[in-house]
Amino acid sequence: MTKMNKQIRAAAEKYLKDSIVSCVIGYEEDSRGRIRPAFIEDAKDADRLIWNATCNLNLVNYLHQRKLSPGKDQPVPKTAVLVRPCDVRSINLLISEQQIKRENIKLIGITCPGTEINGQPRTICQFCMERTPVDWDVLIDSDQPIEIPSAEDIYEDIKEMENWTPAERLAYWQKEFDNCIRCYACRLACPGCYCYECVSEQVDPHWTSIALDVPEKMFFHVMRAYHLAGRCVGCDACEAACPMNIPLSRLNRKVAREILEMFNYKTGDDPEEAPLLACFDPHERLRT
Amino acid sequence: MPESSTKTNIQEQSETTDLIIPSLASITGIHDLANNIKLIQVQLDDLAKREVFIYKPGQFVEVSIFGVGESPFGLASSSARGDTLEFAVNRVGTLTDALFRLDVGDQVGIRGPLGKGFPMDMYKGKDILVLGGGIGGAPLRPIIQTVIDNRADYGKMTILWAARSPDLLVFTEEYDHWCSQPDVSMHITVDQAPEGWEHEQGLITTLIEKINPSPENTITVTCGPPIMIKFTMMTLEKLGFRPEQNWVTLEAKMKCGIGKCGRCNLGEKYICTDGPVFCFAEVRNFLESYV
Amino acid sequence: MKIITQKHLQEWLSRLAGEMNLVAPVNSKGKMIYREIKSPEQIAWGFERTKMPPKNWYFPMTESILEIKQGKETKITEPPEPQKTVIFGVRPCDARSVIAFDALFLNKPPVDRQYARHREALIMIGLSCPQMWDTCFCLTVGGAPNSKEGLDILLSQVEDGYAVELLTVKGETIFEGVTFKELAIKVDEPQIHNGLPALRKSDQWMALFNDLYWQKLSDSCLSCRVCSFVCPTCRCYDVRDELVALKPGLKEYERLRAWDSCTATGYRRIAGGHNPRDTKEKRLRNRFYCKFMYYPEDYGSLGCVGCGRCIDACPVGIDILEVIENVDHLLEKVQINV
Repeated sequence: MTKMNKQIRAAAEKYLKDSIVSCVIGYEEDSRGRIRPAFIEDAKDADRLIWNATCNLNLVNYLHQRKLSPGKDQPVPKTAVLVRPCDVRSINLLISEQQIKRENIKLIGITCPGTEINGQPRTICQFCMERTPVDWDVLIDSDQPIEIPSAEDIYEDIKEMENWTPAERLAYWQKEFDNCIRCYACRLACPGCYCYECVSEQVDPHWTSIALDVPEKMFFHVMRAYHLAGRCVGCDACEAACPMNIPLSRLNRKVAREILEMFNYKTGDDPEEAPLLACFDPHERLRT
Repeated sequence: MPESSTKTNIQEQSETTDLIIPSLASITGIHDLANNIKLIQVQLDDLAKREVFIYKPGQFVEVSIFGVGESPFGLASSSARGDTLEFAVNRVGTLTDALFRLDVGDQVGIRGPLGKGFPMDMYKGKDILVLGGGIGGAPLRPIIQTVIDNRADYGKMTILWAARSPDLLVFTEEYDHWCSQPDVSMHITVDQAPEGWEHEQGLITTLIEKINPSPENTITVTCGPPIMIKFTMMTLEKLGFRPEQNWVTLEAKMKCGIGKCGRCNLGEKYICTDGPVFCFAEVRNFLESYV
Repeated sequence: MKIITQKHLQEWLSRLAGEMNLVAPVNSKGKMIYREIKSPEQIAWGFERTKMPPKNWYFPMTESILEIKQGKETKITEPPEPQKTVIFGVRPCDARSVIAFDALFLNKPPVDRQYARHREALIMIGLSCPQMWDTCFCLTVGGAPNSKEGLDILLSQVEDGYAVELLTVKGETIFEGVTFKELAIKVDEPQIHNGLPALRKSDQWMALFNDLYWQKLSDSCLSCRVCSFVCPTCRCYDVRDELVALKPGLKEYERLRAWDSCTATGYRRIAGGHNPRDTKEKRLRNRFYCKFMYYPEDYGSLGCVGCGRCIDACPVGIDILEVIENVDHLLEKVQINV
């Protein structure tokens, strides 16, 4: 068993034994040897926890089901969650949007060697320079070597797309969205998507039809990318969850790049910071 | 060589109107029934369809406003009394809001009659206890009308009507007429009573215990919010009513209304085809709670 | 046995593509999916199991069930007859899904006329599985890698070609004129998984309805709908009136139906906000109970064909075969305690 797994289990066991949290959210292996989320509530179950490069969901998403008091006069439950550096930024996002409180959460952070989607290293992992989470309560070192890239160019494939004509871009995305089955796995795996009723499902106002056709699917994905502008942390849980291998990361990172250039802003640096697009600074002026 | 397995009988619905294509109907009346509740009256445009549109108390229709949507509504009228279909509408969502803005003469679509109604034949010769909560009184009204129109077939009828406040009581203009019928009595209760309120105050369960009806040869029919049905059934049980004597009508979100789309099930029962009327003896064994 | 060569099969499929809609598995960026094709060159030969089942051709992702034109008069019509369609390369598990769909849409009144039209226009040419793959469990639910149920023709790979079994009048008809040889060739038995869990009968599932197992299982569920959408037998659908065109004096709408799933959070939420299935536990439990208890009790057919797509597609690894196995173990315990 790897040192990393030992340490993850020890951290979880301690948090549960000492009743610091009532649940540790991490990963376990199923009987087929595949990774899936694990909800450990008993210290003796902590030895189910493991981590490897296929752990590519954003477990912070599950805090939405533990952010409210379960009943009258009952406290909000306390949870520990295993996070990569990108995942932790979602914590800061949700704190700044007043969804969760830091005191109810324990962060089991890992230094991250990069994760895979569909057996391939994630595009942005190859260029990611942030290998240590910006916040943590326990920090566990990866047992794999971490190679910090020489340059951060997480937008290399975005630049390729920017060289296309609008017609080429449209053709590209229409082809991709033809495969989309509008299952909403992307939206539901995303910690930033927690609306009670998504725009794509609302009857009133009637934004879009229920059809699983390309125009409606395009509307959904582009709308979602816009609603995540300044809020997406680049965890790619959406792409990991997608059953049809749609390169959603490309869409979200394009928007993130615009945000970076316009506002010099990266989501999730600071939980105290007001949400970027929710606030207007009269001194702001877009470059023309 | 077996016949191709796809040979099918694409039957026309010859016994009644088509259950998939809405029949066109026109609004003949809209009346305020209670606070935020209206009674809408429609007639099918096609005279021949009116002839075959026979329905039992407890059945429902799917009402369409084309382009807006379609929702199920319990029928609050009796086919024996004429071919005007009546249903009560509480404004809570997109379609009901659109219904509120319609006028006499406007067009709607009607699919039905749908679902299983109250087995009135089984109730003959028995006393009937009618328990209506809020807008739940609307699907029970055809039972009251059927009993009144066939008075000799049924025993005593006791109507217990409840609402959160007096402005939510439905069909208030008909109470005198009901009570003037032989062997029909009515009791009204509201949760919040204003000054000078002449009737009862409190929940319907309190009223039931006060009236203390005898379970002897009696059938009860209940309609209202799920929580009201739950506590009403408990109270009736306390008073000695067996579950087989109690009948309820349930509701759920529906789409097709004909048992195909899979939406409205409680366990293996579909509210739209196995119900919405159920004997409570069956309901309390439901896997999924109706509450 | 009738044996055809790969060459003659492709010639036959080319001819069919000219006469009707031909649907077959293609490779779309590494994912095998059924698509309408113009030529058998596009077929992804050697596929195992497609990512999506072929149900889109008898139960489309989106289809109009009514067309409504409101002008001086209101006219409501049903959509035109669908085009004749032949699906090539249907795995026996997927073919058995029409047994479940027929039981619901045809055999239980009222007949779903839209579905009936699709079935009339549909021909399915099956491709027997030489083996069961990783997540397959057709045997558990009454199927088999070489099952003929629901198909019009079954092809099984043999040396130098395919053995052809014509199963229905439709199958015989479209096979007319195809070059074949009569040979005494035996088709190999498919390799199967041994030790698959046993599926408990529908009436036994009742005892576990309130078990804590469902809550534990649903902790990780995202309520996302992927399982229902990749499933050959899931049939829940949403209905909504959508605008087609607004012209002076004429409004055109269509009543659309589109795939939906009971796992979605708002599936049973009514106007006003009440939601009887407000927890993931209730929703996920409903999905399994529907497949293994409600569907068989209501329509006489299981709601699962054992294809294993949901196991592959679920983003959080919820495994229907594991559920079947756990139900078996939990019922053993319950029965011991009784």
